[in-house]
Amino acid sequence: MKRYDLIIIGAGPSGLSAAIEAAKRKMNVVVFDENARPGGQLFKQIHKFFGSKEHKAKIRGFVIGEQLLKEATDLGVDVELDSTVMGIYPNREIVVRQGDHVNHFKGDSIIVATGAAENMVTFDGWTLPGVIGAGAAQTMMNLHGIKPGNKILMLGSGNVGLVVSYQLLQAGCEVVALVDAAPRVGGYGVHASKVARTGVPFYLSHTIVKADGTDHVTGVTIAEVDSKFQFIPGTEKHFDVDTICLAVGLSPMSQLLKMAGCEMDNSGPAEVPVIDESGATSVPGIYAVGDVAGIEEASSAMIEGRMAGIKVAEYLGFEEAEKGDKEFDKNVAALDGLRQGMFAPRNRGKKIEKTEEGIDISENLLLHGFVADDEIERFPGVTHRAGVHPVMECTQNIPCNPCEDACPKHVIEVGSNITNLPHIVEGNECIDCGMCVASCSGQAIFLINEDTGDGKAEVTMPYEFLPLPTEGQTGKALSREGKPVCDATVVRVRSSKAYDHTNLVTISVPKDMVMKARFFKAV
Amino acid sequence: MGDTQERIANHPILGTYEKGEPVTFTYDGKEMTGFEGEPIAMALKANGVMVHRYTAKKHLPRGIFCAIGRCTDCVMVVDGEPNVRTCMTPLKEGMDVRTQYGVSDKPFDEQ
Repeated sequence: MKRYDLIIIGAGPSGLSAAIEAAKRKMNVVVFDENARPGGQLFKQIHKFFGSKEHKAKIRGFVIGEQLLKEATDLGVDVELDSTVMGIYPNREIVVRQGDHVNHFKGDSIIVATGAAENMVTFDGWTLPGVIGAGAAQTMMNLHGIKPGNKILMLGSGNVGLVVSYQLLQAGCEVVALVDAAPRVGGYGVHASKVARTGVPFYLSHTIVKADGTDHVTGVTIAEVDSKFQFIPGTEKHFDVDTICLAVGLSPMSQLLKMAGCEMDNSGPAEVPVIDESGATSVPGIYAVGDVAGIEEASSAMIEGRMAGIKVAEYLGFEEAEKGDKEFDKNVAALDGLRQGMFAPRNRGKKIEKTEEGIDISENLLLHGFVADDEIERFPGVTHRAGVHPVMECTQNIPCNPCEDACPKHVIEVGSNITNLPHIVEGNECIDCGMCVASCSGQAIFLINEDTGDGKAEVTMPYEFLPLPTEGQTGKALSREGKPVCDATVVRVRSSKAYDHTNLVTISVPKDMVMKARFFKAV
Repeated sequence: MGDTQERIANHPILGTYEKGEPVTFTYDGKEMTGFEGEPIAMALKANGVMVHRYTAKKHLPRGIFCAIGRCTDCVMVVDGEPNVRTCMTPLKEGMDVRTQYGVSDKPFDEQ
């Protein structure tokens, strides 16, 4: 039996972060992960993260994964892959299946960072090949370069459903509909909007009646549901699809903690361990961090991991309490920063009517995934002026401020409260550098020139699809709803390393369409 | 089989994908190509294979579902061994991959 100062179960964002903090303090750390690759789900996350600099905002998830892994390896952390922890026994002894062997280890402390598993829903035909989890779609397209399907229906409008729908479009798949039984879009409005403007219709208060097909999915029927989630007869709609993707929530994989005798909380939808601020469970020396302790974002999981890593080091005498607590408190503040705004854990399930600024929330965004023309003007980021200027269609309080950091001329301000909606600083002039457009994790910033002469105007938009439009190309401008509104000509296409794969496409449209045109489709 | 799924040649964010050497394997005796080291299930998907197995009692089809080794829907008979999770098992040159009927590679009417 081999002994370690710290055993971490799970090499995802929280586990690796915990390993880094512990190894920095000279602890002998091992991380076991059942997968062949480390990083948990980070390597499937190809969008830019929200938050501020300290939360690695505007960096894509898989790049964060590479950074974490390098940092952990440089510090000498032993990451054991293809290693399934089968049980935690008294005195922090564990057994691990590695190949054909079951090996026995002991840790002076254990951090459980096993993450979460996808929830599923059942309907007629749900077991047919072609019905897949959203995670499976991400694994296929983002890790292995395989299109999950050609025509896909997505069930679930939380952030996973929205982000994966966008990724499916990036992979070249057609998303025929985004469906959710809930009456409102569950995820960030900006994630919904970047899907809606490409033309994907949203069906809220709808769910799947059945999947068609004998050997694999050939179609799907959805129908509207009432407030008690019962189908309303006569509202059925059919789509020809080859794939149905399910993104209906995640549940913590807390079985090991339960087995270890940790006190569990069953009051919520899933069983989670009872923990303190540092992740300590009721069993001395055993900690829980990341999604296994309650579903949140990878950004918060990384901070939770760091916090537990520091506290474990204090607990075992590898760090002085005073010094460790200082570092710990910094992380507490960072985590608190992420848990602000409309999507904060304490607001889960609540309907928020107004922004923190007192502005009415876009009802259309919640019902259809995009802000309506008669709603957009009331948000502080949307203003009219001469020359090129940013229009920030940021309408919900999310802790995020890369736009403010990105602008070299300080035209955009979020302020010390990072959930504020961005606004323009009067007197500072936009130089059309495009950094705000590329840095906005929600792809909600457009550069607008309301009058370029000849009755025309220009709109610069973020563009993360292939093929990239070319200068001089003609097509249609699509509205926020994804409907063609006018002819458009591409006048400029910008790509730069600083934009990190977000290209900037500028289209020329009739002047009266400048506040409507938000996407370009070649014809 | 469904429509053949294309591989993503060039991804707007990820560019091209790192793959092993091209290899040949068989699916129910039929020759197919894939890349060494990618999960068997991915090579099958790229070749348009949707059904991996039929259930023991009701003989219902199953294919890729979770793609991370949890659900076991994608198990097949690989090189004579049943219940191999194809989403987790790396593809190798010459592999013999077969549809699994219950726990056998023989169709139910031959069992």
